Amino acid sequence: MAKAEYTVLGTSPARMGGIERVIGAGIYGIDFALKDELHGGILRSQYAHAKIISIDTSEAKKIPGVHAVVTAADAPDVRYGRTSIDRYMLAKNKVRYMGDPVAAVAADSPAIVKQALKKIKVVYEPLPVVIDQEEAMKLDAPTLHEDMPLPKNLPADVKVKNVCSFTAVHVGDPDKAMAEADIVVDEVYETKMIHPQYLEPRIAAARVEPDGRITVWANAQAPFAVRTDVARLIGVALNKVRIISTELGGGFGGKASGITSGAAIEPICALLAVKAKRPVMIVLDKAEETISTTIRSGAKMYIKTGVKKDGTIVARQGKVVYDAGAYSGFGAMAGARCTNMLGGWYLMPNCHIDGYVVYTNKQVCGPVRGPGGPQAAFAVESHMDSIAAKLGMDPVEFRLKNTPKPGDKIVGVPKLRDVSLGETIRTAAEKIGYTKVGAQHAAPVLGKNQGIGIATGSWIESAGPGGGAVVKVNEDGSVTVHIGKIDMGTAPRFGIPLIAAEELGVPVSDVTVVNVDTDASPWDAGTVGSRAIIVSGTATRLAAIDARNQIFKMAASQLEASPDDLEIKDKQIRVRGTPSKSVPLATIATAAHNIIGEVIGRGYCDNVAMMAEEKARGSSQPFTAHACIVEVSPDTGNVKILKYVAVHDIGFPIHLASVEGQIEGATAMSIGQALCEQVVFDNNGRTMNPSFVDYLMPTINMMPRIETTLVHGYPGAGPYGAKGAGEIACVPPMAAIANAICNATGVRITKLPLSPENVLRGLKEAGKA
Amino acid sequence: MSLTIHTTINGKSVSAGAEPSTSLLDFLRDTLEYKGTKLCCNTGECGACSIIYNGKPINSCVTLAADANGAEITTIEGVADGDKLHPVQQAFIDTGAVQCGYCTPGYIISVKALLDRTTKPTAEDIEEAVSGNICRCTGYTKIVDAIQLAADRMAGRV
Repeated sequence: MAKAEYTVLGTSPARMGGIERVIGAGIYGIDFALKDELHGGILRSQYAHAKIISIDTSEAKKIPGVHAVVTAADAPDVRYGRTSIDRYMLAKNKVRYMGDPVAAVAADSPAIVKQALKKIKVVYEPLPVVIDQEEAMKLDAPTLHEDMPLPKNLPADVKVKNVCSFTAVHVGDPDKAMAEADIVVDEVYETKMIHPQYLEPRIAAARVEPDGRITVWANAQAPFAVRTDVARLIGVALNKVRIISTELGGGFGGKASGITSGAAIEPICALLAVKAKRPVMIVLDKAEETISTTIRSGAKMYIKTGVKKDGTIVARQGKVVYDAGAYSGFGAMAGARCTNMLGGWYLMPNCHIDGYVVYTNKQVCGPVRGPGGPQAAFAVESHMDSIAAKLGMDPVEFRLKNTPKPGDKIVGVPKLRDVSLGETIRTAAEKIGYTKVGAQHAAPVLGKNQGIGIATGSWIESAGPGGGAVVKVNEDGSVTVHIGKIDMGTAPRFGIPLIAAEELGVPVSDVTVVNVDTDASPWDAGTVGSRAIIVSGTATRLAAIDARNQIFKMAASQLEASPDDLEIKDKQIRVRGTPSKSVPLATIATAAHNIIGEVIGRGYCDNVAMMAEEKARGSSQPFTAHACIVEVSPDTGNVKILKYVAVHDIGFPIHLASVEGQIEGATAMSIGQALCEQVVFDNNGRTMNPSFVDYLMPTINMMPRIETTLVHGYPGAGPYGAKGAGEIACVPPMAAIANAICNATGVRITKLPLSPENVLRGLKEAGKA
Repeated sequence: MSLTIHTTINGKSVSAGAEPSTSLLDFLRDTLEYKGTKLCCNTGECGACSIIYNGKPINSCVTLAADANGAEITTIEGVADGDKLHPVQQAFIDTGAVQCGYCTPGYIISVKALLDRTTKPTAEDIEEAVSGNICRCTGYTKIVDAIQLAADRMAGRV
């Protein structure tokens, strides 16, 4: 299908579910209540690292209105984890961060829950705490997990501890190439932990049904992963557990990693409901959420690059030390991604990077929006400017010189198909007013204390689990779509309805996308990894085509035509070229009742086939370039962003406003990490800024308008050539801003955040303030 | 219940009991079942719980239920005219400013309060009016578009 033939694809109709959101309908998990429900609450460790000597719940159980008090002793001796099975839902023997769940209570009111939690007596034997991931690797550091072996692939000569996973990237002969380089630039970059801080608090509600099954309502991004672990940890068969997704008030990957995300709030709630024999609901307080749930980890990144005088990159060596937090969580995957991406997305003939993912006594790493990517890009793209400066070369020219062409390989990707990187760089440079070259030469357009910065990014999204869709055509011609991905303001209620509408010739408003219920929805890995449009979009398209084929087969006899000659538009099935010969979609869908019962189309995204095609034809991954102009106050160190452009290739935008919205939102999130966001700890592992009073996030005051430009002509692996848009815009902003600050002040800041105090310190150290 | 609160919500007289320590947010959500006003930070930082209190937008999470006694309150449930959306609500939908939607009721309250004062807001007026409303999804770009569109429609400029 050529683009011009699309009816609704590429447009921006109202989001499905918009009206209930603007009128304040009670649709979210937090608005939900079960009849006769009890309130649940969790006792969390007050030590970042300690042995549990004893837990006494007897006083708590005596309080009137308390219906259940549970500890690890009340649950099967089963642990969970994605890459390392290293965690109990309620701590047993040891606690490893301040926030680790130790016990839980169900009671008549929140006040009684609080009272009962205070009455639980836990005797701890405090252990030494390790907060910094490099300190944790040292042989004299405290051991977090006595029974977790070091990764098998760790080189024999590496003497470390607390390493939970290891990734090594080897390309060519970096030692030799580095020795032959004309210029070598060696730097260290560091990012801090941030919390995704979706606005809706996390909830879980659980009820034991009359038939003994357990229903859990959760605002989780991956309900099927939650089902698996609730069943395992409670000790019941998978088919005895049903997860129903409530509407999500934001997630950003923070609610994406099964029960890990909420530190097992769902199975804890289910256990309380089983023990209390009453429905239970737990709502996390925002400060409690900040200290206990999954976060974007900090990373320390050593990066060294050799270049020729003409600007050709010849080698990179590096090391990533990635913070897993107290348990493995999503650390192995995010750390591996960060390690690969430290190799960059430019031509890189020789490369060696070691990536260590390390346990520390802190919150656990989750797959927060582009796991590993934003951290790596802060190092890679700041470093690119440092190299360009050393070469005396313009940063844009230096990047373009090392930009891959179709067919080239980059670190971690054996072959690229179309490469939009060059076009995104040139477009971003033009849009920001980066004329002629040389950040220094751009000075005429800049005022005093102002600087211009550019940074690029890429993201891999065409690898991951498959997923299905079921498309039903109702007797009035309306369409119901079942997918396994929840909506949180993303593709499921923006792009997916457009795909069904396009293929079945119905108005978008006639399409319903049902929220996930594990009893009824197709299995899915969740709304993660920028994959909603790729997985559910592909599956919905094929399911809609399957449904259409069934409709054409039934209509063909009525219209005395071949099914191949039929088309469907405006809810009418017509013989192509003979518009007078038509039958309403509703008539055929109703007639189906007497023939096949119902028109039910089935489709799926075959991940193995998609990956094989990506391998054969080359990766169609997206690229981006962001550029900005900032003004730095030499008196306060405050950074104001005056202009911001985001140039993206996302293949084909199925819902245009949604794609722009994802880009704008992801950019804002990383601007937050660039300028102000971080979770701060004291030496005992206590979070110093758990509430919104102290955890600074961007408000409208510090945000520039994000000027988004899409470049076209680089089709992706998704339906109609779409690529995912949810994460990639998180990748470049931190370096773009750091580069602009450097351009304005001459000072390279290598540690986030680029807050007034850090910028001012940098200026002072350089003798510029 | 040691207090009885007599208040007017969305033009309707309401009387209900509350503890002296009950926040207006909890009173609205849990006692009166106005679930459109959202609970988030509970510290007056994010604006998800915004309501209009005697003509001014406030954070209901850091206001006591007792302060509602004798007050005129508008919640998000009182913004639309029956089934007809308020121009601010319609503009948020039309511009794609509603992603997850959790901050949206608070925004619509703050913006309604602004546009009730003036339908010719400057960029500074807009920034000031919603500086207490955090949105984590949109990056604020489409929210500014929505506010401008609503203002233009209310003033008959478009």
